[in-house]
Amino acid sequence: MTYRKVGRVVRYENGILISVSESGEAFEEDGVFHARPAVEGTAQTRVSVPHSAGADLDSFVAKTQANVAQTLLSVRSGRIERFIASAGTAIHETNGSKWTEESRRVHISLVSPPLRALIDLASFDVEIVTTVADVLARAGGERDAPKRLRLAPNVSAALLPSLIGELAMEQSGGGFDGHGRPIETRAVTHDAPPNWYRPGYAVRPVRAWMNIRALPFGRVDPEVPLAIALLEPVHGTSLRVLCIDGGDVFPATIDASHIAAVSRAEPVWYPYAAGSFGAEMML
Amino acid sequence: MTTFSIASRDELWVSGALVETRLMHGVATQRGDSIEASDARDERLVRACDSAIDTARATVAALRDARVRVVVRATRENDVEAVETTMTVAVDGVSVVTTPSDALTDYELLHRPRRGAAPLRGAIVWQNGSAAVLLHEAFGHASEHDAAPVAWPSWLSIEAPLVSRRETFRDVPLLRMTHLIARQTDAPFALPDSLIEVQLVAGGGYDPMTDIVTVDVAVSSAGPFTIRRSRAEVAASLAGASGEPIRYPGVICSREGQELYVASHAPVMITDGLL
Repeated sequence: MTYRKVGRVVRYENGILISVSESGEAFEEDGVFHARPAVEGTAQTRVSVPHSAGADLDSFVAKTQANVAQTLLSVRSGRIERFIASAGTAIHETNGSKWTEESRRVHISLVSPPLRALIDLASFDVEIVTTVADVLARAGGERDAPKRLRLAPNVSAALLPSLIGELAMEQSGGGFDGHGRPIETRAVTHDAPPNWYRPGYAVRPVRAWMNIRALPFGRVDPEVPLAIALLEPVHGTSLRVLCIDGGDVFPATIDASHIAAVSRAEPVWYPYAAGSFGAEMML
Repeated sequence: MTTFSIASRDELWVSGALVETRLMHGVATQRGDSIEASDARDERLVRACDSAIDTARATVAALRDARVRVVVRATRENDVEAVETTMTVAVDGVSVVTTPSDALTDYELLHRPRRGAAPLRGAIVWQNGSAAVLLHEAFGHASEHDAAPVAWPSWLSIEAPLVSRRETFRDVPLLRMTHLIARQTDAPFALPDSLIEVQLVAGGGYDPMTDIVTVDVAVSSAGPFTIRRSRAEVAASLAGASGEPIRYPGVICSREGQELYVASHAPVMITDGLL
């Protein structure tokens, strides 16, 4: 079974705009994983994403440049340390399935020494960036974790992969996995996931729960302090977060192993692990 | 306008058996702040890769109990060609980064006794060129980030030139170290009574926001441990050095997700006050 991918991605990375076109294929033979640029045709013909998708990317480039400019202007507090925005279109083909995928990614790290806030999104959202930047600028000293705490969707999405088997959640159906099999809605358990995650053609696919979402339960108390942003990548269920409690803003390290409630609001997809839906949660 | 072309072969061998193999090639052309890249194939670079990886494979056969990742990169940047072969050799979770010519010697390092039980206190003697990793983080990466100067000992000189480098045609080039060579001139060298000897380092990091240097020691007379100190504290801790720079078996340096080999050399050095 050979997997083929043809795609184009444009990426803004700290002041440079890079456009990459490539096609690759991967297969297993006698237990050996092989990955290489696609062998048929020339580079020009191999890289032929649909015309409309190419136009979309060109439009994304223009939009990204505008969003970047707007973000740079709007973040008046602190400093943008890292700013990466990308959009891609790819055609995948394997195991008798062929599908097109579009992706958007934004990564921003904001610093207000000694704190660094990390933002990862699947669409450009200038508002959340400016909100986090403004809150970060008001941060005081480290405090103990509040007894009860809400996690904003962008925080809970990063945590969710660490709670597999511990919190009631499901894999959201739709699309295909790295072996060309349909991704079906399933309860997420400790058992081996039915699907395979292939983040790039040159990466050996691994079993993974894809596009996971926590099932709503309980009631999220809107008066409880809110963790609005990650200050470090997630380590298991230990999170270092930026918290808002009334007019106070402070960093805290929390143990998020016990979730008391998950909001019923429509969750938002975030690019963590093999896809994770963020919804407000309460510890 | 600048043009960067690359071909690479990347193989993973476990206990003498090939388990993963990758070929990658492409070209990136930069005009101002814009780069256009594709996976165009440069036959000359691919042939250079194939030739170099044949040599590396001959070495892999001797590393029977190891996990070995071999990466050959053949590059051309503005008409300057280079071929680089690195081998990351791991045994029981500890690794070195080496080249085919040094692989067997460095492989032996991984088979030396590792169970250090000395108390974690006193001075550190950085054997085997391992101080180069400490300086890679505290001096090299700080230079990449244009950090404020700190007071290094007058007997120490560090060569760590920065050039525009990238891992693949898909990446944005960054100012990165090519190598780091630390040298001493008439440095003091008095071994203290209480000391820990460091042989191999697992990794490290430098945070430009906090100016904190982290080094994870993998093999020492005190076992594995981690150092987290400010750059100024690292500089102030350098208490002595002896001899010529020794090649440390390898630093694969990761920044912005781009992994690049940085050759690293340092004399035997003493630090005091890091524990």
